[in-house]
Amino acid sequence: MSVAIIDYGSGNLHSAAKAFERAARSQENPQKVMVTRDPEAVYRADRIVLPGVGAFADCRRGLDAVNGMLEALTEAVRVKARPFFGICVGMQLMATRGKEHVTTDGFDWVKGDVEKITPRDENLKIPHMGWNTLEVLREHPVLERLDLGPKGRHAYFVHSYHLNAADETNVLARADYGGPVTAVVGKDTAIGTQFHPEKSQRFGLALISNFLKWKP
Amino acid sequence: MILFPAIDLKNGQCVRLEQGDMARATVFNLDPAAQAKSFAAQGFEYLHVVDLDGAFAGKPVNAQAVEAMLKAITMPVQLGGGIRDLATVEAWLAKGVTRVIIGTAAVRDPELVKSAAKKYPGRVAVGLDARNGKVAVEGWAETSQVTALEIAQRFEDAGVAAIIFTDIARDGLLKGLNLDATIALADAISIPVIASGGLASIEDVKAMLTPRAKKLAGAIAGRALYDGRLDPAAALALIRNARAAA
Repeated sequence: MSVAIIDYGSGNLHSAAKAFERAARSQENPQKVMVTRDPEAVYRADRIVLPGVGAFADCRRGLDAVNGMLEALTEAVRVKARPFFGICVGMQLMATRGKEHVTTDGFDWVKGDVEKITPRDENLKIPHMGWNTLEVLREHPVLERLDLGPKGRHAYFVHSYHLNAADETNVLARADYGGPVTAVVGKDTAIGTQFHPEKSQRFGLALISNFLKWKP
Repeated sequence: MILFPAIDLKNGQCVRLEQGDMARATVFNLDPAAQAKSFAAQGFEYLHVVDLDGAFAGKPVNAQAVEAMLKAITMPVQLGGGIRDLATVEAWLAKGVTRVIIGTAAVRDPELVKSAAKKYPGRVAVGLDARNGKVAVEGWAETSQVTALEIAQRFEDAGVAAIIFTDIARDGLLKGLNLDATIALADAISIPVIASGGLASIEDVKAMLTPRAKKLAGAIAGRALYDGRLDPAAALALIRNARAAA
């Protein structure tokens, strides 16, 4: 079993790789975690992780710049039904479109647009940076036994945009930042988190462990 | 073997497409319920229905026509097209569909098939449509590099009633069933396989009754029944005789 973390020049790879390696080591059957920019390796992987930091359009361009990567990723997830984990902008790319400064096409796996968050309270700063609890809207194997809810564990966010899903059933969990913020989306064999599990300590590792165990 | 007459629905009408191309549709009957009745009267035992608009939209579109057919006949019906979640599976089974066919969702969301088949054993079939052996999704508009066998193997031991294997290149062209590919698939898995796409004449029915096709559970007949190339009475008599001899 192998887990491919896609390297397309969009940061936070090191911390993501460390977190996945650590979670993988604690599994009964450790899975091999690799950071790769080889589409063939992504196509053959059993699980795929797409990190991403920065602007939506930059991430999309970075991914398109790796020849054959988008095709390999799409096929692996949408036809071979390999579990997929998108982190931050990697999650936002699952949307139909990104509307950060310019409108950019996403993968269209989760219908909806990535839009600027607009907290009701003007004192709340953008970008939203910090720790928030999560409200689970829909049960999902990846969210099992995580001790979530208003008094539960906290996830680490740093973002100005979020995925405004057209179909509410695709939103698995949300946070509150002067209004609802999409925190976790899930569709078919793909999930994505707006927050950074690799920076969310024990909760993040437990979430990654759940993903590594998930057999959709 | 079971010979399934096919009714494909587009805009509430009964049509046939060529190679799954929505632009190449021929309307054969404005009243699908009347068509279903006519198949029942001819002696068919199981009806195959596809909501073509539903396959493209990802949700049921010709529900009214399907319900009218269910009311018009007592013969069992298997239905595909736009069935992509458990709620839709359950709604159709509750309305009297005997077996639902999951296509695109079986590719993208295998868990749906597994959980539906577990909850409704024998009432969930998987539709795998292939172009040159590779699976196509989204109303056949997209083709992948993944083989039908690879997808079919996911559902071994999941309680799936049947795999309906369609060769898109032949569908609606009356070039004969792609028996070699269908038998190869049936030999590699334990789930019953139904052949679809290209059934042209009584020769295809005879081929289905030969020993090498013994593992196949049935075949779907579309255009050949509508344009008269296949005489239903002769085909059904052949099948009855083969059953009696077995």
